[in-house]
Amino acid sequence: MAAERKRHHLWIHLGLASFTLLSIYPVLWVLALAFSGQQSVGIIDLPADPSFFERLRAVLPWPAHVSVKNFVDVMTEQPFGRWLLNSVLVSLLTTALGVFLACTAAYAFSRFRFPGRDGGMLAFLVSQMFPGTLMLIPLFIIIVKWLGLGNTYWGLVIVYATTAIPFCVWMLKGYFDTIPIDIEESARIDGASPQTIFVRIILPLAKPAIAITALFSFMTAWNEFILASVFLEAESMYTAPVGLRFFVGGFSSQWGFFAAGSVIVSLPVVILFLYLQKYLVSGLTAGSVK
Amino acid sequence: MTLLGWLRQSALAGLGAAVALVLALTAALEGSVSDDLVAQQRQREAVLLTQAIAASLAGADAAAARERLRRWQGGSPAVASVRVVVGRELLASTVADDAAPRALRREEKPLFDLATLLRSAAETNRSEGAVRKKTLQIDEPRGAAPVVTVPLGVDGRFEGIVQARIRPQSGAAVSGGGWGLRLAVLALALVLGAALPLRPGARVDLGRVAALLALALLAIGFQQHRLAQQGASREASEQSMLAVQQRAAVLYAHSGAPALDAAAASPWDTDAYGRPLRHMSVGGRPLVHAEAAKDLPTRFLERSLWLVDALGLAVLLFFTQGFAARTAHALREHASAYAYVAPAMVGMLVLVFFPFFYGIGLSFTDTTLFNEALPLRERWIGLDNFVAILGDFNLVSRGAEGSVWNYQNFYWTLMVTVIWTISNVTVGVSVGFVLALALNTEGLRGKAVYRVLLILPWAIPNYITALVWRGMFHPQFGVINQMLQMAGFKPVAWFDGVVSAFMTGLVTNGWLSFPFMMVVILGALQSIPKDMYEAAEVEGATRWQQLRGITLPLLRPTLVPAVVLSVVWTFNMFNIIFLVSGGEPGGANEILITKAYKIAFEQYQYAYAAAYSTVIFIILLVYGYFQTRVTRATESY
Repeated sequence: MAAERKRHHLWIHLGLASFTLLSIYPVLWVLALAFSGQQSVGIIDLPADPSFFERLRAVLPWPAHVSVKNFVDVMTEQPFGRWLLNSVLVSLLTTALGVFLACTAAYAFSRFRFPGRDGGMLAFLVSQMFPGTLMLIPLFIIIVKWLGLGNTYWGLVIVYATTAIPFCVWMLKGYFDTIPIDIEESARIDGASPQTIFVRIILPLAKPAIAITALFSFMTAWNEFILASVFLEAESMYTAPVGLRFFVGGFSSQWGFFAAGSVIVSLPVVILFLYLQKYLVSGLTAGSVK
Repeated sequence: MTLLGWLRQSALAGLGAAVALVLALTAALEGSVSDDLVAQQRQREAVLLTQAIAASLAGADAAAARERLRRWQGGSPAVASVRVVVGRELLASTVADDAAPRALRREEKPLFDLATLLRSAAETNRSEGAVRKKTLQIDEPRGAAPVVTVPLGVDGRFEGIVQARIRPQSGAAVSGGGWGLRLAVLALALVLGAALPLRPGARVDLGRVAALLALALLAIGFQQHRLAQQGASREASEQSMLAVQQRAAVLYAHSGAPALDAAAASPWDTDAYGRPLRHMSVGGRPLVHAEAAKDLPTRFLERSLWLVDALGLAVLLFFTQGFAARTAHALREHASAYAYVAPAMVGMLVLVFFPFFYGIGLSFTDTTLFNEALPLRERWIGLDNFVAILGDFNLVSRGAEGSVWNYQNFYWTLMVTVIWTISNVTVGVSVGFVLALALNTEGLRGKAVYRVLLILPWAIPNYITALVWRGMFHPQFGVINQMLQMAGFKPVAWFDGVVSAFMTGLVTNGWLSFPFMMVVILGALQSIPKDMYEAAEVEGATRWQQLRGITLPLLRPTLVPAVVLSVVWTFNMFNIIFLVSGGEPGGANEILITKAYKIAFEQYQYAYAAAYSTVIFIILLVYGYFQTRVTRATESY
């Protein structure tokens, strides 16, 4: 029995290991290009009529010479540092604005009963169903043509922040609902104003939920590509996603810069994601598994 | 009685606000329409004169042309300057010290280009047998007289162009003023409103009905008065057009050109396409009744005034039926709640809801990058965009080399999108399911390592994933073709074939989406109690029977929402298609939303793209509707 089980496990290990290798190959490929110190899309340069082993060498994700030249060059010679800074600024501003708007609205939805409350919450929910491209053209006309916020941080920030609001509001409202109202009432009896209660009591208690909201807003802005590529025309205002596409889109093929830039952009996101994945999964499955 | 109480118990606020709104909107509409009419009148005069001059020059040589132009300029103070260009030559010019005829100078190239443009427009129209292109050009430099360029031709043949700068002659036909009347109407409304008492609590009473009647009388009466004014000024401008036509006819006869039939419709009084309007004869007699000569702006004004009245009515009811008081009360009562919600709500209204409805509205126009500045009523085309998208069944076009698919057709793109969605979700679910089953094996070592490594594709931003795969699919240097060649196959030109390009998207998106499915299914598998399997084993059920009898039914509540979500995600997966294959070859692999994007931002047809997006939205709505019904059915099962 035990021997059979062991053999069974061996097969599973074999299958899982080979699939895992296959599935992380693109990641290794990018790493190899990033550390290769050159710009071509091949990991090594092949001769005109390569042999089997030369091809095998070209497929193995290990550069001919390990070098950090691409990382140094992309930050110094290319405007990528500037683009990264743009992305950081846009994402931070989005986070600040988005969290502020979501906290206030969620607090009102959670604690006050007022005419229009249910309608407002429903409106937030419904807005999640509007398709992106239907919004893209009017947003382009409003932000770029009417408001003239085309090549600015604020054009992107206000759009990203409002896109993230509905999710954040629902999420925060759920959390605020779990904070006992007694705390607020005793504070009120002690003479605290609603503003004081909100800032001094509710917000500190809701820190975990606010952190998640902030993270969500940040990621929305950090990974967004379409709106940014439509709004930003000046190269100096590009965000990192638009810039990365600039390296390898169209007729340019600076794969080394692209790979190095991708590693820099993805690293924080991937680390955060892997760190948070257990919460993410429990959140996704909590509602559906009974 | 307090002021507030009095406000609440009379029709003062309601009638006042409603009438003020009607007056203000009417004035705004009238203003914009009058401006249009004035501009139209100015252009029509300029076109008429220029056409007359061009007609008189037909067939004349340089000397005769110069002589005729001299007479025109001597006879009409409106003609500021005229230039005649035939081929590369400036045939005649009224500009002093300009020794025409001479060759065009380098800096006069725009004039030559304009001639080429009008020639090609005229030829297109003639070859198509329809007037589709404008054969004359009107330029209106800010604060200067309009410049009109018309073709010069004999018997419809294009010879050259005549460009004339025409000073506006007839006074502006504006029906402005009327502010005294407006004030009087508003005052009357306030007095009437103050005099009409409303019984609190009642829905319908005498005061409310009287207020309604008062609004109708005041609004419609005032608007009819303004329309009559506008009619009068239209009459006046039509009269002045007749005078211009008479004068032009006299000058034409005087210039020495062949005589025209004075009773025939004027060939000079044309629209921007060069088509005669047939409003008057060569001799300057009216040919149509004034009512029939009503122009587009006037008709628009008449129609939109009804909308203004409806708005006024809504405002009146808002006040008299107590909604205003209730709103004010709620605002005061829950001031802090509204203050907290307001910033987010304003943001959502401006940047989510307004754009949404604006986009839908846009889809009923023919807005492109080039005509955005036109007023909305000139761009409004109703359902034409939707007819063009949904009514085009031209899926296969027959060419010289047999039948080929028409990749630009909506139904082709829809088909690709459906195949794309189904195949991706199938791949994602099956790969995820197999991996989850493997990872759920009891006592398997290294589970956590596998899990973290397998989840990586989900963690990487998807635009990066897409570009990475684009690089790996590179036809010449990409690793995938290297691997194929290692295995003895020929390299594949991935982005040149419809199926191979589709595969690039499928592989990329499959790679991207299996971790989500794997994680979701794994979570559900772990929540299935172990003793169920043990019991099944005791009963002698095979592994396959356990899978069908226990695992799949218990997975269903998890799997259905996950599949529903992933269908919508894949349907809208812009980045993969856009960045990996870019819809190549020839747009064959475009899915609906990348297509909509390209229509908007590569062809600049904003309205058509908006209609396209609206269709996508409707498809998703229909899907959502059926999906909730199906989900409910499976839940009860």
